[in-house]
Amino acid sequence: MKGKQILLLILIVLINMNTGCWNRREINELSIGTAVGIDKSEDGYLVTVQLINPGEVASEKATERTAVTTYRASGETVFEALRKLTLETPRKIYLAHIRILVFGEEFAKEGIGKALDFISRDHEFRTDFYILIAKNTKAEKLLNVLTPVEQIPANKVFTSLKISEKAWASTYHVQLDELISGIISEGKNPVLTGVIIKGDPETGMNISNLENVDPPTTIQIRYIGVFKDDKLIGWLNEDESRGYNYIMDHVSSTIVNVPCENGKVGIELIRTKAKINGDVEYGKPKIDIKIWVEGNVGDVECEVDLTKTKNIYALEAKVQKKIKKEIESAIKKAQDNFKSDIFGFGEAIHRAAPKAWKELKTDWDRREFQDLEVNINVTVKIRRIGTIMKSFQKEAKE
Amino acid sequence: MLKREKISARQFRILVILSFVGTTILLVPSTLAAEAKQDAWIAAILGLVFGLLLVWFYNIVGSLFPNITIIEYQERLFGKWIGKFFSLLFASFLFLNCSTILFTVGDFITTQLLPETPIQFTILFFLLVAIIATRLGLEVFARAAEILFFWVFVFFIILILFLLPELEFKNLQPIFENGMRPILRGAIYYSSYSSMTNIVLLMIFPTCVNNIKQGKKAFYIGTFEAGILILFISLYSILVLGHDISSRSVFPTYILAKKISIGDFIERIEVIIAFIWFITVIYKTILYFYGSVIGFAQILNLKDYRPLTLPLGMILIVLSLTVFPSTLHEAAWTATTWIPFILTFSFFLPLLVLIVSVLKKKIKGKR
Repeated sequence: MKGKQILLLILIVLINMNTGCWNRREINELSIGTAVGIDKSEDGYLVTVQLINPGEVASEKATERTAVTTYRASGETVFEALRKLTLETPRKIYLAHIRILVFGEEFAKEGIGKALDFISRDHEFRTDFYILIAKNTKAEKLLNVLTPVEQIPANKVFTSLKISEKAWASTYHVQLDELISGIISEGKNPVLTGVIIKGDPETGMNISNLENVDPPTTIQIRYIGVFKDDKLIGWLNEDESRGYNYIMDHVSSTIVNVPCENGKVGIELIRTKAKINGDVEYGKPKIDIKIWVEGNVGDVECEVDLTKTKNIYALEAKVQKKIKKEIESAIKKAQDNFKSDIFGFGEAIHRAAPKAWKELKTDWDRREFQDLEVNINVTVKIRRIGTIMKSFQKEAKE
Repeated sequence: MLKREKISARQFRILVILSFVGTTILLVPSTLAAEAKQDAWIAAILGLVFGLLLVWFYNIVGSLFPNITIIEYQERLFGKWIGKFFSLLFASFLFLNCSTILFTVGDFITTQLLPETPIQFTILFFLLVAIIATRLGLEVFARAAEILFFWVFVFFIILILFLLPELEFKNLQPIFENGMRPILRGAIYYSSYSSMTNIVLLMIFPTCVNNIKQGKKAFYIGTFEAGILILFISLYSILVLGHDISSRSVFPTYILAKKISIGDFIERIEVIIAFIWFITVIYKTILYFYGSVIGFAQILNLKDYRPLTLPLGMILIVLSLTVFPSTLHEAAWTATTWIPFILTFSFFLPLLVLIVSVLKKKIKGKR
């Protein structure tokens, strides 16, 4: 019995000594990456990593130093470039917590597919970061801009994208698996939202950028970039981007301004629902888009009597027309300018008529998509008019 | 003669489930999606039907030898030398399969969780548990299974519930796009991993189950429940990831668990979810190890099987490291050799046993 007790004691002691994992990495040996940027360089890829300066983020009083630091290295493959960074960085970089992955515009035009393989193959990357394109600039430059309010620029981009998508609906967050399935799908092409530097990139790098009430350089999320397979081929403007989001059922809320007598009325959309139905009739593919929109009157800057239901119906018709126009412009641009099916109409046809799709898919992007007949049906309901009834505009004038 | 251990029908049912789910949960969603594309879930239903048919077959074979294992029965049926030859083949098959299971789990841990830890150590720790369980005996690890199965169930429910917001039902369309052939191929692969590998249970069934009638029922119910579990996993991997990503990932179930994100708060719980297959895989390893050790002991007419556990365990570590030179080799082996290999031992060998025993009875009856 005594032998057993001693054995137990030895085991307990041994267990305490064996708690560490083999490849444990203590937090003070790691640099936590928040963003990765990929550009092209002479020998292949230029990879930029934005790292947190733990001392600055954690300390309670303001410091002179910046909250993040960027390092860059180039290599023939993304993997090589990332490992080469250790020549410069003080600690090993830990990338499981990155919030954004940014591609430079020039790089995206030549195709992002090759760079994506490493990111989906490596075990450290998760799939919950957002992927964006640095419009008109290099990802390297973009990751250097310091941002106010949100100390870590990558977090700022991440949250702005999330918020703007919910409240303004001209942007859309794309994550790794959606991007990859967009690239490989035959009936759909991917999109990525753009980020731009507003102001001078050089001043944005300096901490003095944050010392102004109105910072001279900021980061803005704007426009949706259209891809053909893995190559960026162009941009949708603000209205077209929103039109795209209506079709894809990505809109949760936005503001639609419609004209009325001597002014405008702002309608807040609070709920939208979109449905794409494909069909093939006599060998010709056809797409039906049905969109249901629910909104409230949010802003009346004209002399309209909202107590009359007739006027509400008129507003509904105007909103419906405006939404339809935005959608049409997005489709037209994709069909005529880009010849790229970013809406997944091909997939809708595939789901509806798998047999006909087998023939259609061979030159879907080249011919069929461009001649595709798209019917758009928008239903608008305005439910509420806010906290006041009649607008005081009319009385104010008298 | 070895001492007989007895387990209840309920414990047997849980062992059936754990062994069926085993490595299936890790490997099959990817294979099903690669073969049957968006119809993977239909293949999973078909595979379940195959599984139930196979249980029916095993129940018939099992009732030939209610008080001994299949290895002892083969000796009685074919005579000493031919019987020993078949038994040696069967025990080696169990042993070899045990090493491939260890390879799979070692591969999973090395690829997804601990890339820098030498694979020897992950395999060693898994195998240590299997050796200890085998030494303690069937009754002990069957009872432990009852406790651990609860957690498998809980984590499975968490996985299913927390992924509800991620479901994308249009991923299922169009149904039956490529016809029945790919679905059938997928279903065969699926049953080769799950119900066919349950041949190992003939080492404990029906001899170690205290009530054979209930045990047969438990075999059906266990297979059915495990089949439903796998159906959910493969359906979810299509619904959440789509067939492209499912077939492209090596371990889609783990990717599935990574997708859990409830209100930016409950996320990154994939390692907790991975407990499902840590438990099921360890039980599959235990059953295969126990089966092969008992098998060798019976071939050698040992009184106790325990002296075999350590030497066989040592061989097993080396074998599991060398059985496949690389993961690609494993994939090629799975695509070509695996199906005929598993069919030989899990279908043709018991079929031969059944036919010979029926013929023998007829000849005896004529005399």
